[in-house]
Amino acid sequence: MSNKNIYRPQSKFQYSSYLYIFPAFVFYILFVLFPLGDTLYTSFTEWNGISEKKWVGLDQYIKNLSDKKITSSIKHSFILIIFYSFLPIIIGLLIAGLMIRVKIRGMATYRAILFLPQILSMIVVGISWRWIYAPKGPLNAGLDYLGLEDVSRAWLGSFDYSLIAVGLIGTWVMFGFTMILFIAGVQKIPSELYDAAKVDGAGAISEFFNVTLPNLRGEIIVALIFTVTLALRNFDLIYITTGGGPGTSTMIPSMFIYKKAFQMGQVGSASSLGIMLTLMIFTLVSIILITFREKK
Amino acid sequence: MKKIFVLLSSLIFFSAGINAETLRILAESGDEATLTRATAQFEAANPGVTIDASYLGWDDFMATIKLKLADNNPPDLAHGNQGFTVDGTLVQNGLIISLEKYADQYGWKDLFADGALAEFMWSDDGSTWGSGSLFGISPVAEDVIVFYNKSKLNALGLSVPNSFEDFENALAVSKDAGELPIILGGADGWPIIHVWGIIDGAFVDPNHTRGWIFDPKNFEFNTPSRMDAAKKLADMAAAGYFGSDSLGVGYDDANAMFINGEGVFNLTGTWMTAQLDEGMGDNVGAFAMPTSGGKSVAGGGSFALGWHISSKASNPDLAAKFIAHLMSNDFVDDLMEVGRVPAQAPTISPTSNLQAEVIASSNALIGANAKTFYTDWATPGMYDVVTQELQKLIGGAASAEEFISAMAAESLN
Repeated sequence: MSNKNIYRPQSKFQYSSYLYIFPAFVFYILFVLFPLGDTLYTSFTEWNGISEKKWVGLDQYIKNLSDKKITSSIKHSFILIIFYSFLPIIIGLLIAGLMIRVKIRGMATYRAILFLPQILSMIVVGISWRWIYAPKGPLNAGLDYLGLEDVSRAWLGSFDYSLIAVGLIGTWVMFGFTMILFIAGVQKIPSELYDAAKVDGAGAISEFFNVTLPNLRGEIIVALIFTVTLALRNFDLIYITTGGGPGTSTMIPSMFIYKKAFQMGQVGSASSLGIMLTLMIFTLVSIILITFREKK
Repeated sequence: MKKIFVLLSSLIFFSAGINAETLRILAESGDEATLTRATAQFEAANPGVTIDASYLGWDDFMATIKLKLADNNPPDLAHGNQGFTVDGTLVQNGLIISLEKYADQYGWKDLFADGALAEFMWSDDGSTWGSGSLFGISPVAEDVIVFYNKSKLNALGLSVPNSFEDFENALAVSKDAGELPIILGGADGWPIIHVWGIIDGAFVDPNHTRGWIFDPKNFEFNTPSRMDAAKKLADMAAAGYFGSDSLGVGYDDANAMFINGEGVFNLTGTWMTAQLDEGMGDNVGAFAMPTSGGKSVAGGGSFALGWHISSKASNPDLAAKFIAHLMSNDFVDDLMEVGRVPAQAPTISPTSNLQAEVIASSNALIGANAKTFYTDWATPGMYDVVTQELQKLIGGAASAEEFISAMAAESLN
């Protein structure tokens, strides 16, 4: 028997492999790279959306950076990271940590309920919370019932509390996601590690910090990237609940992009702000990846 | 015989081809009831003409109208929106045509007082607004007036105010009696523009305000009388006349609350007439805000969104003929019946008490030449600035001086 039927690795590169990624690549070019390039070009122009684009170089960037309303909206985005990212991750970790120690009956049901906000459309979430936060809504009714009339207020109409109120909606939406992610992560941690920790006399807290947390590094990175990105590019929730108000107290860059492009006819300026936001997200994600990378 | 048949059939074909025309209309959805009526009438009067009307809600309409008209296959006839942001851009880019020829042909300018159509007038290059050629027109008036809850006003022992001082007194009496004096949906921002329009109009010469809106760079925003108006609005808010939660309530909710008996006054537009009528019946009345000493009246307001003919319209004459139908005296009563306030005097009696009072208020504003449009028309960025700054003023987060200086700064943009 000759050995010509025996499989040998191909020494020659198979150009046909490109064919497999070709359709996806075409879509990627058409719907991601081309619009990105076009936005980048537009960001160096002055354009009302229909006339000829007029090249203005870096003017739009300089104008945006010197606009106090825009810089303060970037500040709001960073505050929202606390609510969209940090809080959900802390809550998710706590729940995951608890689950290792405590066996709760019907956990699958609780998990499903806690995850529910994540699969709801942001429109539904926004409208529901508008109602919850309304001056005569259930939150204030509850506070009044507890005798806290001084605390109850128009939450989304308050200059001091609206950003926090919107942020907490984000926490509510996101913690289901982080929880599921961490619970899945915890399940793949070998039980020997926990046994070893117990033998060493570790309590719940020490076990959490020495076994659970280090083994969830990968999941935490994913959760951070996903939630931080959402906090920065979030639009729908703010648009529906406050529209950026009252005043500019919940304004975020994506609201300005929308307003400039679709209300004010300043597409060049909107594009430059879009590019700035993209760069900001890119930088933050890089920082997260570098900070949390596996140290060999 | 065969030749005759071919000749005859081709004659029939071509004559039908000439008559069969489609007029494509893109409208903001507030005009759907009006257009449904007008379309049926126009098609009946013009055999062979089909009207293909489509509608978009306010936000979608405003976000896309310029792109739709810049398209290679735009609607023949479309709404715009007064100001540089929409109408100005359309004129500057040659996307809509001047209606001067049709205005002469159909006598549109004779229907209104001199200068009344200024909000639709542009220089041919679209660089100046408020004079020049007519680029749009509307048969509907939208005025900002005061609606009030009749039984509440009676119970408080008050009557319809004859002067701004009377109105202020009514607010104080309402507040003392534990009523919410003014219902306001401030969460949406723009409803406060209407309140501001009325208070501003009570203090500032309407000619100056209109001049500023058409040319904000060259008309000073910061005048002593306007500072008085801003201070008055801040004082009203501080006195609790809008309640403590107005910035957390949306416009639709505020009107629903008013219909359900909350609030003595509701400072809003005549576009709410049909809805308030239906919800409150004889318990709702309306008046135009009197100025100090009752010398005149004050209020924002303008024509409704104007109609424009696309520069690519295949048959602009037909589009103009349709506008002429909307503007005709015969159509005035139809406008009344669908609950809109016609810009021309109606010939039928009002269908309700409220409509009668709304039309009287509208006439009072027109008679006093007191309509001052909307503050946000002044610059492309003004909508954002005025809504944000008014929210701050009402919420006590900014003083009258800060409000005025932010507005004056945006005027120069």
